[in-house]
Amino acid sequence: MTRGLSLQAALAAYRVDAELAPLPQPLEPDALLNAFHPDHLRDGIATLAVGPNAGARCPRELADLLQAEAYIDEVDLAGVEVTDTDVLVIGGGGAGSAAALAAAERGARVLLATKMRLGDSNTVMAEGGIQAAIEPDDSVQQHLQDTLRAGHHAGNPALVAAMVGDGPGVIRWLIRQGMQFDQTASGDLHTRRAGGISAPRIVHCRDYTGLEMMRALREAVIQHRGIEVWDQAPAVELLSNENGRKCVGAVLGSLDGQKLRIVRARSVILATGGIGRLHLHGFPTSNHLGATGDGLVLAYRIGARLCDLDSFQYHPTGLVNPPYLSGKLVTEGIRAAGALLLNAEGHRFIDELQPRDIVSAAIIRECREGRGIHPDTGGVGVWLDTARLERGQPGLIEQQFPKLLARSRIAGIDPRRDPVLVYPTLHYQNGGAVIDVDGATTVPGLYAAGEVAGGIHGHNRIMGNALLEIISFGRRAGMAAAISSHDRGPKKITLEHVNQARRALTLAGLPLTRRAPQIMPDYTAPGKDFQIAANPRSKS
Amino acid sequence: MTKKTGDEPTVDLLINGVKVRAEPHMTIVEAAWAGGVPRITGASCLEGVCGSCRILLRRGQEVSVALACETFAEQGVETLFLPPPSAPRHQYELSDFKDGWDIQARFQEIFPEADRCRHCHGCVQSCPKGIAVEDGVALAAAGRFREAGEAFFECVMCELCDSACPEQIAPAHVGLFSRRITAFFHLRPPNLIHRLEELRQEPFSGSNNPAPLPGSDEKESS
Repeated sequence: MTRGLSLQAALAAYRVDAELAPLPQPLEPDALLNAFHPDHLRDGIATLAVGPNAGARCPRELADLLQAEAYIDEVDLAGVEVTDTDVLVIGGGGAGSAAALAAAERGARVLLATKMRLGDSNTVMAEGGIQAAIEPDDSVQQHLQDTLRAGHHAGNPALVAAMVGDGPGVIRWLIRQGMQFDQTASGDLHTRRAGGISAPRIVHCRDYTGLEMMRALREAVIQHRGIEVWDQAPAVELLSNENGRKCVGAVLGSLDGQKLRIVRARSVILATGGIGRLHLHGFPTSNHLGATGDGLVLAYRIGARLCDLDSFQYHPTGLVNPPYLSGKLVTEGIRAAGALLLNAEGHRFIDELQPRDIVSAAIIRECREGRGIHPDTGGVGVWLDTARLERGQPGLIEQQFPKLLARSRIAGIDPRRDPVLVYPTLHYQNGGAVIDVDGATTVPGLYAAGEVAGGIHGHNRIMGNALLEIISFGRRAGMAAAISSHDRGPKKITLEHVNQARRALTLAGLPLTRRAPQIMPDYTAPGKDFQIAANPRSKS
Repeated sequence: MTKKTGDEPTVDLLINGVKVRAEPHMTIVEAAWAGGVPRITGASCLEGVCGSCRILLRRGQEVSVALACETFAEQGVETLFLPPPSAPRHQYELSDFKDGWDIQARFQEIFPEADRCRHCHGCVQSCPKGIAVEDGVALAAAGRFREAGEAFFECVMCELCDSACPEQIAPAHVGLFSRRITAFFHLRPPNLIHRLEELRQEPFSGSNNPAPLPGSDEKESS
C-alpha cells in the first residue's frame, strides 16, 4: 500500500469549510468491484471438496470450518439428559426471537437456545433502520427492484418478493411487540434514503433501531408463556433420523464446554447469524463476538445446500481508531443525512449513496493508491466528514445519531468537531443456507432464518433489508415450523449424518483434526475454554 | 481490537481474581483476554449496546458497576464479571391488554413496587448509560408512560439498576414496559396504515406470486 498521510498531518490539513472539487468521472462499477472489492481477491479462496456444495469456491477460513470434524460422536450422547419440544430455535437475535414468537403464536411449545445471552446478536447493534415501502411515492414493486438490482440480480426473486411484500406488515407486527419508531410532526413514520434505493424507505428509531427492536423482542420472548429460553447453550451438533436425512433435534453444549444436553424437536430453526468473527481476508468486523458461522457448519454437515458462499458485505464505514472499536460501524444513515467521504487530499472520490459494495471498493482504492490516512495505532482509512454535516445542519448529529455521540464520548473524540476515520469492515454474509418462502432448507425438519439463510440479497445487501429479512423470514419459518410440527414426532435420534460426513472427509483425504462449529473466536477466553473442554474425548 | 504494543507503561489489575498486566488503552474485556482469564462468558457486542459484560469494579474504597467493554484498564483496580441477571419476576404479555384506559391499573398490578421508590439513587448510580432511572420510574408510576419510556431511551438491558434496587422495582423492566405499551397503544402512523390498507385491497403478488404472510391482516383490538 502506498503511503498516504499520517492522521496528524491529515487533521492539520483538514478544513471544515474547504471548497470541494466536483466528483471525478466514476469508474465503471464492475471494473471497480473487480479490482478492489475483497470478494474478488484471488488469494485466500478454497474450493469445497465434500458436501452439497462440493466444487463451490469460498474463503479459506469458511471452507476450513465447513469441512471440519464434529465435536461429538454417538458415544458422547450416552446418558445425556433429553428434553422434548415442538420447535427448537437455535439463536437468540432478531430472527430467532421472531421465529420463536411466531411459532408460539401458533400454539407450538418453543425452546429457544442461544449461545450467549438472549439478545446478544448483530441485531442489537444495527443502527440505520429497516426498509418498508410505505411512502406515497414508493411501492413494494420498487423495493423489489432495488433489492434485486443492488444484489446484481443474483437474489432469488420469489424470496425477495415475499420479503418486500411483508415489509409494511412487519412494521405493524413490530409495533404490536412494542417497538417504537421515529415519527414526523404529523405522526407518519419518518423515512430515510440510503445507498442504492430509489425512494425514502428506511424507517428507524434514531440510530438505535436494532437496540430498540431487540429490547422489545427480547422482552416479548422472555414474557411469553409458551417460550422457554436457554442462555449460554451453544449448539454443537444437529441430530438426524436413522438415515441421516432429516433433522430431529440438536445437541447443546455450554460455554465452558462442560455439559451436553439433547433436545428432541419436531422442527429445528437455525437463526445463528453470520460469520464476521472469522475475519475473512484479515478484515476487522462490525459483528458481535458470537458471529462464527456455527449455523452454516451445522447445516452443511447435515446435508443442507448453501448458496453464494463467496459473497460478503464489507460495510464502507467501519471505525479505524481507537483500536478497541476498530471495525465497529458508523451508520450509513449519516451518509443518507448528507455526510461526505473525503480522501487524504480532501477530495470526494465516490457518490456516497452508491450501494455498499461500490463505496467500499472505492475507499479501498483510495487507500491502496496512496490517498489514505494512517493513524499511529495501525490501519488506514478515509474521512467521513461528520464535521461538515454538523456545520451545515447544526444539532442534527445530536438529535438523530445519539449512539455515534455516546460512543465517541467514551473514546474521547467529537464527530461534530472533527471528521471520523473510516475503512470497510466485514459486516454481513450475503449468502447462506438455501431456503424457500417458508424458510425451509433442503433438509426436512430444518429451517433457517436471518443472516444464516441465503438467496435474498444476491451479491450485495442494501441498508435496512437485514432487519426486514430477520423479521419477515423469522416469522415465516416460525409459523411453518409450528404447523409442520403436527407430524408425528421423531422416533429415533442419531448422529448418522456425522458418520456420513466423516466418511466423506476421509474419502476426500481431508484431515479430521480441526473441529467445528467454532462457537467462539480463539482470541477470546471462552474460545480457549471451549477448545480445551468441548470435546469429551480430548480430555481423557 | 487493541493489540499489545509494548511501547506504553503497563498497568496491573485484578480480573475475576486473576492478576493481569495490560495496557491502559485496553478495555477490561480485552485485558481479560490478554491476561488469559478463563470463562469470560458475558462479552458480546463490544460496543456498549448489548448490556451483557457487567462488572463490579473497586478502585480503592470506591465500589461501582460498569460495562467491561466501555471501561479501561487502570492501575490497581479490581474487577469481577457479574453473572447474567435472573429472569424477571414481573409477568405480562402485551396481547393481554385489551383496553388502553386500563394501562395504569394494570401497571400497578404488574409492578406493585414501582410507587415505593425511596429515592436511594442506587439505580441512577448503577446505570452505565447515565439514565435518570429514578425519574423514569416515578413517571411510569404516575401513568406517564410515554415520558417514562423516553427517559429509558438509551437502556441497553444490562439490568444493573434492577440489581441495585432495594425495593425490587426492576426499573429496566418498568422502562421497557413503558416504551412497549406506548408503541402498542399509541403508534398509529398514517403512512403505514394507508399502505397496509392498499395492500389489503390489492395484495402484492411479486414476480412469482408467493403466498402472503399468514396473519398479516389479523384484527387488533385497541
